[in-house]
Amino acid sequence: MNVDVAVVGGGPAGLAAALAAKEAGAPRVLVLERDFELGGILQQCVHDGFGLLRFGERLPGPAYMQRYIDALAQTDVQVLTDSMVLELTPERILYVASPAAGLLAVQAGAVVLAMGCRERTRNQIWLPGTRPAGIFTAGAVQRYINMEGILPGRRVVILGSGDVGLIMARRLTLEGAEVEGVYEVMPQPGGLTRNIVQCLEDYNIPLHLSHTVVDIHGEKRLTGVTVAQVGPDRRPVPGTERYIPCDTLVLSVGLIPENELSRGAGVELHPVTGGPVVDESMATGLPGVFAAGNAVAVFDLVDYVSATGEVAGRSAARYAAGELRDGPALAVQPGANVSFVLPQRLHPERVHAGVAFYLRVKESKERAQVVVRAGGEVVKTLLQVVVRPPEMISFTLTASELARAGAADLVVSVE
Amino acid sequence: MGEEYDVVIVGAGITGCGIARELARYDLRILVVDKEEDVCCGASKANNGMVHSGYEPKPGTLKAKLNVRGVELYPRWAAELDFKLVQTGSMVAAFSEEELPALEKFLERGKVNGVPGIEIISGDEARKKEPNLSPEIIAVLWTPSAGYVEVQQVVLALAENAVANGVRFLLGAEVTDVLVEGGRVQGVVTTRGTFRSRYVINAAGVYADKVAEMAGAREFTIHPRRGTLIVFDKREGKHLSCFIGAVPGEYTKGGGPMTTPDGNPLWGPSAIEVADKEDTAVSAEDLRQVIEKDGRFIPNFPTDTVITYFSGNRPATYTEDFFIEPSAKVHGFVNVAGIQSPGVASSPAIAEMVVGIMKEYEPLHERPDFNPYRKRFVPFRERSREEQAALIAADPRFGHIICRCEHVTEAEIVRAIHSAIPARNVDAVKRRTRAGMGRCQGGFCGPRVAAILARELGVPVTAVTKKGPGSELFAGRIEDLRLEKGAAK
Ligand SMILES: Cc1cc2nc3c(=O)[nH]c(=O)nc-3n(C[C@H](O)[C@H](O)[C@H](O)COP(=O)(O)OP(=O)(O)OC[C@H]3O[C@@H](n4cnc5c(N)ncnc54)[C@H](O)[C@@H]3O)c2cc1C
Ligand SMILES: Cc1cc2nc3c(=O)[nH]c(=O)nc-3n(C[C@H](O)[C@H](O)[C@H](O)COP(=O)(O)OP(=O)(O)OC[C@H]3O[C@@H](n4cnc5c(N)ncnc54)[C@H](O)[C@@H]3O)c2cc1C
Repeated sequence: MNVDVAVVGGGPAGLAAALAAKEAGAPRVLVLERDFELGGILQQCVHDGFGLLRFGERLPGPAYMQRYIDALAQTDVQVLTDSMVLELTPERILYVASPAAGLLAVQAGAVVLAMGCRERTRNQIWLPGTRPAGIFTAGAVQRYINMEGILPGRRVVILGSGDVGLIMARRLTLEGAEVEGVYEVMPQPGGLTRNIVQCLEDYNIPLHLSHTVVDIHGEKRLTGVTVAQVGPDRRPVPGTERYIPCDTLVLSVGLIPENELSRGAGVELHPVTGGPVVDESMATGLPGVFAAGNAVAVFDLVDYVSATGEVAGRSAARYAAGELRDGPALAVQPGANVSFVLPQRLHPERVHAGVAFYLRVKESKERAQVVVRAGGEVVKTLLQVVVRPPEMISFTLTASELARAGAADLVVSVE
Repeated sequence: MGEEYDVVIVGAGITGCGIARELARYDLRILVVDKEEDVCCGASKANNGMVHSGYEPKPGTLKAKLNVRGVELYPRWAAELDFKLVQTGSMVAAFSEEELPALEKFLERGKVNGVPGIEIISGDEARKKEPNLSPEIIAVLWTPSAGYVEVQQVVLALAENAVANGVRFLLGAEVTDVLVEGGRVQGVVTTRGTFRSRYVINAAGVYADKVAEMAGAREFTIHPRRGTLIVFDKREGKHLSCFIGAVPGEYTKGGGPMTTPDGNPLWGPSAIEVADKEDTAVSAEDLRQVIEKDGRFIPNFPTDTVITYFSGNRPATYTEDFFIEPSAKVHGFVNVAGIQSPGVASSPAIAEMVVGIMKEYEPLHERPDFNPYRKRFVPFRERSREEQAALIAADPRFGHIICRCEHVTEAEIVRAIHSAIPARNVDAVKRRTRAGMGRCQGGFCGPRVAAILARELGVPVTAVTKKGPGSELFAGRIEDLRLEKGAAK
């Protein structure tokens, strides 16, 4: 099978990419999704708050997705669900397994990688103890409750204050479970402020900062956990241990961009984001392979995810049509108090309207300034009332601002 | 009173299953019982799977003899039972001059024990074989005969072949008493019934002393020694092809990094005496020790690619040797105890030795129809694209990938649930198929595997367990819980 643009993943990033590729004139666009339905992780995010930037409305996840699914139905984009991409070759052949279509080899003119992310497990944070049933990641709990109608447990401790964990604290409470508390190893919460207020404070669920789980008990089903306070070095403080009986431990301890396919194809990955290194057109280092959404870096707003999908889809269509061949690029580097910035490479001559930048800070700060420099020259500054690591910062660098940079590499810092 | 057997084997680890399979050659009615819902749930599920070459046991011990004999027999087991045996050799490293005498000692032991090809090579020669080894290693004891197996695959192969040859397995049946009359064993009482037999073979691992006590034949004690292992992502499997261990010392007792036959780096084990036979928790200290110790061998290994870690308990006796004897107190009761490392490496020889013991009780008659062969089902992920296409065309469930990390298909999971030794819980499916063994640790496929188990076993999903009764995965269906609450009000 031959297509112009193949999109791996039918979540918000993938669907935005497919639509944009179609609008940009790609004749044959194919979406490959391993789940039974389109929508990605938003299928299970039934709470509202999606689409504020994009649609000016606070939609539940499935409603946000439905707009894209409906738009897609108006096009001739081909969609294969229940179809998993097993392998991507550097020559852009995709091997796909599907019960209905069999084993497919798809040759694509361009590929958009939009596989989303997965959750960090208990082992990836080295939690000691026994290995009973009753330990779940927050995303799995969300799927069980919202999609399968199953309550995983009755007395719950949540480790990590990432957004999915906070949202599940509320959901579990509403479904009749008792959430004993949320424990966070860092001195500040990991999730958005609105989620702390709406999911914990409104339900009197205590948040214990600078705390972690130091032991897990129970042979068959979880019977309890031991928590302890941690010092500034994030090591448990002896003598502060407390045993909490519970049958469920929910982990919300981080998301990792899903990039097994990218790795297999030889796409260069970034050590901090965990996703492909991309340029302003969301092109990875591998010719004809683009990436978008949480597969590139973990975004906190789906609106941004959709935006990167559009850029990737449009670019993929142009690549498939013979444009956008690689040329010299500037490097974009994280400066003071920036953990990562996207894109990491930039072709100034290709920028006509402007480039969206996304960055995360390392530390919180009030009255901060985002500063973009080129060879020491300031090309843009942006005032921020407050910056926090969980809240991604996005801004646009216009073509004229970029023109000021000349050929010098860019450094983005938050001061 | 339940059925009658000639032989009841207590324990379905590699020892019990190996014995069952070898005894299946003879005209005997054999029953294997285990307290767990699956085979391979004791020490056999939590070890390195290394077929040690045999330089370590003291010459003259049973361990030394059976280890070397086991290595000799493994290729035949692997060929007949079709499991992966990767023979890449093993190393013991010296980091300093002071450690050289210890290498010499093991070289001597190895020669006396009859280890083929054993020699000491320089650090540079070792790095030719294993380029990622630390430059600080100055010499290595090299034994080319050491190999590696996936123990759960070996145990399943043994059990399946035993079943094919008429052995019966009764799982989830804990032995609570051993029947003895007039100094002769008469059978066992289990939580799933009483079974009469003329012989009872005690292969109960860390519980072997308890089972022997039930028979009034306790001739040894077991003190569990916990070992913790750490598994890393397959994509880091390229660092090392064989095992490399430290010279056993006070702190660096045994252990070291290796790569499993399925390609995952595996570090450990640690060694710590524990009071409780069930204590297979992993402590932060265990993890710290393994990381620190094994990290010395391959600097720059990315330990953040950890996938999982777990512990197993070695069933050590005070003599530290295997204890394989017909009881002096109870006729027909055979202890196969103290099977700590190298229990995996020795298992074919242990089985051979137990057959010998049985032959001393009475002549055994070979069954003409014994079939030593068992064919492994080659997993989807190991097949060529053409074969994969053919599988999906024949059964669309092969096109349905359930475990995205390990590419395990629905067809394979269904197969595992209906195999000769049926998988009845999530961990049992995992052992057979690797579903949930990848980097996301079942985060994604967990719900799907649970749903398939429920469907195939004809039970509600809320009855599905992780590892047998008591380890139910969920509190219940939200609908039912709401109804319950309503009724309570
Ligand atoms: C558990 C969880 C909960 C979240 N909750 C929120 C929230 O409440 N609010 C919020 O704003 N953001 C939330 N997010 C962030 C959210 O993921 C993003 O906003 C957005 O959904 C990311 O879109 P995506 O398209 O990049 O990835 P996804 O939505 O994850 O979509 C990726 C798709 O790719 C498919 N796929 C992956 N690999 C393959 C393959 N090999 N072959 C075929 N298909 C494949 C997957 O099945 C999936 O459908 C959550 C994230 C997670 C992980
Ligand atoms: C960390 C670690 C690493 C190791 N590495 C290696 C290695 O690399 N190479 C090697 O050769 N060896 C190794 N070993 C040793 C090896 O694992 C053991 O020697 C071997 O698995 C013992 O097998 P078994 O069948 O005797 O015991 P087990 O596998 O423990 O089986 C005993 C069975 O008896 C059952 N049972 C107990 N009581 C009862 C009862 N009352 N009723 C019914 N059933 C009962 C249990 O449920 C269990 O299934 C290692 C051990 C550990 C712990």
